[in-house]
Amino acid sequence: MSDPEQDQHRAWEEGGPERLYVITSGRQVPERHSSLDMVTLIVSRNEPGPGMQPELAAIVRICGYPLSVAELSAYLHLPVSVITVLLTDLLASGHVEARASALTQSLPDVELLEAVMHGLQNL
Amino acid sequence: MVRADASPGRPGPASTARWPLPPVLLAICVAVAVPLLPSAARAHAVWIGVLATAAVAAADFKAARRGRAMDALREQYAEREAALQRQLAEQEVETVRMAKEILPEAMARLQQGISVEDVLRSTGRPSRVSPRFEAAHHAVLRYVLQAVEAEEDLRDAAQRAFVNIARRVQAIVHQQALELREMEDRHGQDPQVFGDLLHLDHRTALIGRLADSIAVLGGARPGRQWQKDIPLFNVLRGAMSRITDYQRVELHSVADVGVLGRAAEPLIHAVAELLDNATRYSPPQTRVHLTAAEVQSGVAVEIEDAGLGLTDEARIRAERALAQHAAGGLDLDDLGESPRLGLAVVGRLSHTNHFKVSLRVSAYGGVRVVLVVPPELITVTPVPGGALAKAPVLPPPRRPSGPKHRAEAVAEEPVPADGPRTANGLPQRRRRTRAVIPAVRPQQTTPSATAPRPPASDGHSAPAGLWMSAFLDGGPEEDSGTSSGEAPARRPRRPSDEEPEQ
Repeated sequence: MSDPEQDQHRAWEEGGPERLYVITSGRQVPERHSSLDMVTLIVSRNEPGPGMQPELAAIVRICGYPLSVAELSAYLHLPVSVITVLLTDLLASGHVEARASALTQSLPDVELLEAVMHGLQNL
Repeated sequence: MVRADASPGRPGPASTARWPLPPVLLAICVAVAVPLLPSAARAHAVWIGVLATAAVAAADFKAARRGRAMDALREQYAEREAALQRQLAEQEVETVRMAKEILPEAMARLQQGISVEDVLRSTGRPSRVSPRFEAAHHAVLRYVLQAVEAEEDLRDAAQRAFVNIARRVQAIVHQQALELREMEDRHGQDPQVFGDLLHLDHRTALIGRLADSIAVLGGARPGRQWQKDIPLFNVLRGAMSRITDYQRVELHSVADVGVLGRAAEPLIHAVAELLDNATRYSPPQTRVHLTAAEVQSGVAVEIEDAGLGLTDEARIRAERALAQHAAGGLDLDDLGESPRLGLAVVGRLSHTNHFKVSLRVSAYGGVRVVLVVPPELITVTPVPGGALAKAPVLPPPRRPSGPKHRAEAVAEEPVPADGPRTANGLPQRRRRTRAVIPAVRPQQTTPSATAPRPPASDGHSAPAGLWMSAFLDGGPEEDSGTSSGEAPARRPRRPSDEEPEQ
């Protein structure tokens, strides 16, 4: 595959004439769902219904196993804010559920980070 | 005097043959009366009778001759009158012909691009009327044609200027739209900036539509060209994204078809103009319904609003606005009023792309516009299901949870890994830094995170759950297979997902 930048550009070129605000119906990211952050895991609870907006259906379809908001954003080539708005809808309709990412209050230990670093270098 | 009226029907010779009658009668009377008179008066009577007869005869002869002269004159006048009337009639015919045939014909030829001189030469023909009249007509024709040509040139220049400017605006708007999209991707995580960008994006789209409208009215193509066929759903959403009140448009069921690339932009633009009219002329709290269904003659896009509706007169006017721009150039009048501008654009687009547009009164009381796209512009949908066109790029991440896959993954994975502990960490690390690190450590978060799983009902959520629990349990050895089995399933498919995370 080509580099993501190129790919994304082409996806837009070919993708469609619609703009993002139509996908979100012009809604802004709601405040009360600010709990949805990049790493919140999303799992679908049922199959996409008929007549669902394609983006919503796509989210429900690919969230058969937990995906983070950031991953959804990447897969769908949609910015995180758009995904958040769409997820708010899906959460409200009960099609998906959000699982809070694990706590982040404590820093990981240095040993683990080093191990990770080595692992990454070895890849 | 009496004969003046009857003169046309009365032959001249009859009157000349009758002139001796009075003197003869007088002579007879004299001849009859003279024997009755006493002899003394006879000689006088005879003289008087002869004199009177002679006088009457002379007078009558004179009168008859005058009559003949008058008849001749009258005839002459009648002839002249007839000639004049004939001439007048011919001139009238010629003038009418000028107005009804020559001028329109010459105008049509002029509009085909033939020069004034050529047009004049081809319309000149020998005429029965006087040369002066003919010359005058010719002069009038020339004058009119020259005036029209000058006007036409002026309009052409204006039109070219308009189209030229519109093209430039279109180019800028297109570029800006691309850049805005890039910015939206870049600032997707910041709701404030993102919202502002969307706002700008929307306004830019509106500018783009206006530029497109001017280009279309100027006889040029609307904005962009699409290389690929586009699903009708996206076409309609594209149309929605170009109007002010897109939030009021409700997109209902849309037929699962695609629109040929070359017809996509005209269709988007036409639907956008119709939607704009629908939203503009209905109360702001009402919705505008947009559907598309396959019909015998293609695909019917239906726009229904709950506005005031359409009187017959308004409908006729609107249909005329739709129809009259089938041909002809840019009408600057149209640029002023918005319904006319929109309808003129739709009319022009419909003409060039063979859309059929009809306006009816809606059951909601508003207007129901049906735009039928002919079947030759319709194709099978490029993306089955009418989903977003990007759908093929979407990974269908059904996790290959079979034991075979797992075995492969296990065989693959430990090679680059240092030890079991890091091998477990690394595949998970690909997912998200913060998501995993705490998961390895604080055990106490596990129950709360895994608790809401039961509602997940069907087949593939179970593996997901398995994976989750393994993931959260953080047991380094026993579940390395599961978690590393996860990674290869996703890894090849996400060349681009690092991008938005940064």
